[in-house]
Amino acid sequence: MAISGMHLTRIGKGNFLLEPLRSMNIADQGRLMQEVVAQVRQGQGVRLYYDLNGLPVIDPVYYDWLSNLARTCRIVNIEMICINMEPTAAFTLSSFLSGKPEFATALAVPD
Amino acid sequence: MQKKETSEKLATLFGLKIGNISGQLEETGRAFFCADTMLMDEDEVADLSSEFVNLISGLLSAKEPAKRTIPQFHALEIFFSELAHRMLMRGGQVEDVVRYAQQLQYSLIAALERDSGVVFTQSRSVLLYFAQLFDELIMAIFHTYLGEREKTLKAQEMELRETSTPITEIWDGVLTLPIIGTLDSSRTMLVMEALLNRIAKDHARAVVMDLTGVRNIDSQVSHHLIQMVRAVQLMGADAIITGIHPEIARALVSLNIDLSGVTTRASLSDGLKEAFSRMGIQVSQKAG
Repeated sequence: MAISGMHLTRIGKGNFLLEPLRSMNIADQGRLMQEVVAQVRQGQGVRLYYDLNGLPVIDPVYYDWLSNLARTCRIVNIEMICINMEPTAAFTLSSFLSGKPEFATALAVPD
Repeated sequence: MQKKETSEKLATLFGLKIGNISGQLEETGRAFFCADTMLMDEDEVADLSSEFVNLISGLLSAKEPAKRTIPQFHALEIFFSELAHRMLMRGGQVEDVVRYAQQLQYSLIAALERDSGVVFTQSRSVLLYFAQLFDELIMAIFHTYLGEREKTLKAQEMELRETSTPITEIWDGVLTLPIIGTLDSSRTMLVMEALLNRIAKDHARAVVMDLTGVRNIDSQVSHHLIQMVRAVQLMGADAIITGIHPEIARALVSLNIDLSGVTTRASLSDGLKEAFSRMGIQVSQKAG
């Protein structure tokens, strides 16, 4: 099942990699979250790596989308980990974040 | 009658065909740049004088020689700016260039007088014209000097900042950042920028920030520090703060800064041990 605006790939046992495309419309996040969670569950995934590579800024709107997706994943026992965050994105996100984010972070997908 | 006479002299000056007076101006250049300072050789002074004569001839023969917007005037400004830049680069003083310009003004009037036979030194309007012209040119010299000084100060400031916050990869994937001196907001921002870029470049998994050399911290900086830790964590690396002085600890508490999500250790060595242990690295003494 393809999801519009993103690539969702199975990368080993229980792990999925989500690569957002420029065409991804986060205004339609309800449908996107539902489709992502459905596909990861179908593949018996327990971990979702969200690739932030190439995203220069994470503003509050985009952060809301990431938080909502992470919360939705957590409800169905899927851990969401954001990877490859750009320095500029980390800088902007840290400037308005008051506590810990809803998702975990890692440099990249572990070997 | 007097006014008319002086205006006529100014008109004569503007209509003057200037002959080869560069030789007469060379002496001024030699006195300032060759004698004690050794900033130029004699050939260079000759070129300088010749170029100046060409430029001043261009200005005096322009349609409106008193205007400051004409290209001929800009060319003279550039000439003095470049001269000032060159002399400063060679270790000269701005005073030398300014005094040279002042002396050049008198030498030029004298040379023009000799060349044309008109007594320009008796004309108030001619003297006023040259005084105003050279004032502007001296301003150009000062402008260049201030620009150069500002550039030097900025470069020194940057160098000082870079050397006072050296980010070192002490182990594969472990960065250390000893912060020394006073942390202000702009410096914290610079450190953060450098650190985040370094994490991305080196794929660092742990960062040990050592505050042993920091004695003062204010509310804004402590927030920046927490922001820095959070940004490091967001990039997927572990942040460990070490060497927090009791004064800093007290300040952080009184400022209501929440350090609950931040790993702290007493010393840099403890911080490194923590980083190694998180990465599964064990450093042990060689047996025997």
